[in-house]
Amino acid sequence: MLGLPVQLGMTDEQEAFREAVRRFIQTEVPLTKVRDLYESPEGHERAWWQQAARLGWTSLFVDERYGGGSLSGGQVRDAVILAEEIGRGLAPGPFLPVNVVAAGVSEHGSEALKEQLLPALVSGEAIAVWAFAERAGRWTVDGSESALEDTGDGLLLTGAKHYVEAAGSATHALVTARWRGLPTQVIVDLDGTGVSVRRGRSIDMVRRFGVIGFENALVEPDHVVGGLGEAAEAIQRQVQIAVALQCAELVGIADRTLEFTLDYGRDRFAFGRSILSFQALKHRIADMAQWLEASKALAGALAEAVDESDPDAMRLLHVAKAYVGDKATRIVDDCVQITGGIGVTWEHDIHMYNRRAALLRALYGSPEEHKEGLYRLLEATVGAGR
Amino acid sequence: MSDAARTETLGEFRRRSEDWIAANLPPRSAPPEDPVDLQRLLFDSGYAGIAFPEEYGGAGLTLEHQQVFYDLAHELGRQVPTGTALMVSVGMLGPTILDHGGHEAKSRFLPPLLRGDDLWIQLLSEPRGGSDMAGARTRLTRDGDSYVLSGSKMWSTGAHQSDYGLCLARTDWEAPKHRGLSMIAVPLAPATPGLVVQQTRSADGTMGDFCEEFFDDIILPSENLIGEENSGWAVAQTLLFHERNAVANVGYGYIGWDQSESSADAYEPRSLIGVARQRGVDGSALIRQLIADVFIEETVLPLTSARVMTGMTLGTHEGQWGSLLKLQESEAAIEKVRAALAACGAEGVIWEGDDIELDNPGTEWLLARGGTLSGGSSEMQRNIISERLLGLPREPSVERGLAFNEVLKRQEPSE
Ligand SMILES: Cc1cc2nc3c(=O)[nH]c(=O)nc-3n(C[C@H](O)[C@H](O)[C@H](O)COP(=O)(O)OP(=O)(O)OC[C@H]3O[C@@H](n4cnc5c(N)ncnc54)[C@H](O)[C@@H]3O)c2cc1C
Repeated sequence: MLGLPVQLGMTDEQEAFREAVRRFIQTEVPLTKVRDLYESPEGHERAWWQQAARLGWTSLFVDERYGGGSLSGGQVRDAVILAEEIGRGLAPGPFLPVNVVAAGVSEHGSEALKEQLLPALVSGEAIAVWAFAERAGRWTVDGSESALEDTGDGLLLTGAKHYVEAAGSATHALVTARWRGLPTQVIVDLDGTGVSVRRGRSIDMVRRFGVIGFENALVEPDHVVGGLGEAAEAIQRQVQIAVALQCAELVGIADRTLEFTLDYGRDRFAFGRSILSFQALKHRIADMAQWLEASKALAGALAEAVDESDPDAMRLLHVAKAYVGDKATRIVDDCVQITGGIGVTWEHDIHMYNRRAALLRALYGSPEEHKEGLYRLLEATVGAGR
Repeated sequence: MSDAARTETLGEFRRRSEDWIAANLPPRSAPPEDPVDLQRLLFDSGYAGIAFPEEYGGAGLTLEHQQVFYDLAHELGRQVPTGTALMVSVGMLGPTILDHGGHEAKSRFLPPLLRGDDLWIQLLSEPRGGSDMAGARTRLTRDGDSYVLSGSKMWSTGAHQSDYGLCLARTDWEAPKHRGLSMIAVPLAPATPGLVVQQTRSADGTMGDFCEEFFDDIILPSENLIGEENSGWAVAQTLLFHERNAVANVGYGYIGWDQSESSADAYEPRSLIGVARQRGVDGSALIRQLIADVFIEETVLPLTSARVMTGMTLGTHEGQWGSLLKLQESEAAIEKVRAALAACGAEGVIWEGDDIELDNPGTEWLLARGGTLSGGSSEMQRNIISERLLGLPREPSVERGLAFNEVLKRQEPSE
């Protein structure tokens, strides 16, 4: 039962893609390589990213006119295949931010911007990241204080964006800000004046973060993505794509971790028996199997809801991140316990899975935050107050 | 696969069912119809036992056709036969008889079962224990062309309102415990000589749905045996398999998912939000998280079940997946009552007046564990998931290979 993918009944093309991605990760960035990259400031090699890009890591949300193409027509569902494999292999690279920006620009960007940015993103020459959350770490449409102002010199951006994945590798950022108080998104060239990038690291072996500051940074008129003040829906959708990919990645992490933990435990003996014959462990593993299967069902349902622009997608998103974010981290954590002392050493791979899971748990909202979000959605449907 | 399945595609079946459902099944907004009447209506029009062969009263189609039918009924907002009695009878006992009964037993028992004319229940657990079902001590002895049954069973849901019980009893006391069991159909009509059925009082003080039965040398024809003599364990396993599926609403027990049903429920999340507001505790993050958890589990459950159903048709999900769903469902149900207790506070356990009130989370709490015990406890489900779905080592046994008589001797309490 382990190893079953999020999506059952994939097309031949999707299956082939999954196979190719898995092989690519195993040969080009195996876990030994991930360990090497721990020391590197960027966490991935640019030439490798361009190789990954040729395999389709950057193109799934982009129209064929700009060098992209989807496998099945379900963009999120296709990307979920990739996210799951990235989770299983803990692959490096700015997969999530690049795809979210590609989706946002594809859906709402001006023709000029698309021509300028998308082919470069698809080829891996450019890396665009999403500068969304701020100091307070709120991953919501109204969470941005950064401001865009119309001045005699043009549209100027001021503010600071935190927790920006791959900030140090990026050439561009899709910045979520406010224009006259209303949600707006713009693409900013990170080489421009008034832009500063402070690199940062994360608990993950290879995912780097950073803070991007803007001080009266000039935004080209055709770099506004969607209308000024009209980005609320687009931001919501980007959050949905990000969380759908996260959930799939978390499933990949948990599935793989449980798999190698059971392989190890079967041959580990104590008191004359395999440790996996102890009911105290078997029962916890059974619970994990149940959580995992339910997480797969949720990740699949969310991907489909986002692809189909389901009006209830936000509710499902809260449910999915609350459940998968919690259960996947519990699974990895419990696997550490089952692994025994070696599970808290650098030598054993499990800490790398624990790192990625803990990172994803927090990014784009923790399970606790999503439960609060869910409560608010439900509350709004229960007649007026006291 | 029967002829009908070969000739009728899901699409064709869907079209024909759609018209029939629209013309015949009452809308859900109408007063609820008696489930047995609905079951008869289905049967008489060829829509009962959709995945059962035609010769035994079914429609000769597949489980996928069954799914199409019930999903359609829900899409069209129609009533379908629901309730424990039919779930047990049609969703669990029917397929077990189909899997193990001989041609004669199937011809005799299945058509009235599928029509809802005969209700069937399971007689497995005994006063000395339910988890270790293979340790049954009810005695079944061959006597010429018939069998004699003596002993007692417990926890039999619906026995007082049913027509037959499928009873697990020991036919060979010298064989190891799993190899000396047989399964036999026992008529439950009050007039059956030697039979006493007593309802059991539940923890909430009401007469429960479950009963205890005493068998005093009941004589049964040998045609009532389902499966071979001494192969009752295999039949019981099948029965439990169908039980877990039915509880999880997959397989033969599938009757579709109805979201609106849960919203009528006093402890569904939106009602709990209302209660929390009234009590002024809706600002508590802890309460809010608990209520959100209830909604989360309620959303996850049908999605997991749908995934397993899809996997069953695709062949990716084979075997004991019902255990996983049953575990998930019954454990979530406990958390739901726990959240209700939290949201309601003293309101949930104290009321005014001299009357005994049952409609409160406190009373619900008293019975909440029924789900994690009946149909195989959560611990048994975890054993099954770990051993049979994940292939982990089996529990060590102190009884393996021993004659059952010998096992009994060893169990005598040391004084
Ligand atoms: C509402 C309700 C309806 C029921 N309906 C029916 C019915 O229609 N027909 C029928 O035959 N039975 C029915 N039952 C009985 C039910 O199947 C049993 O209660 C159940 O199998 C547990 O058996 P027991 O109660 O004897 O507990 P025991 O078997 O004594 O178990 C006690 C505790 O020990 C644990 N345990 C036992 N063995 C193991 C093990 N190997 N590993 C770990 N833990 C273990 C159990 O999980 C439980 O927590 C019903 C029960 C309830 C509550």
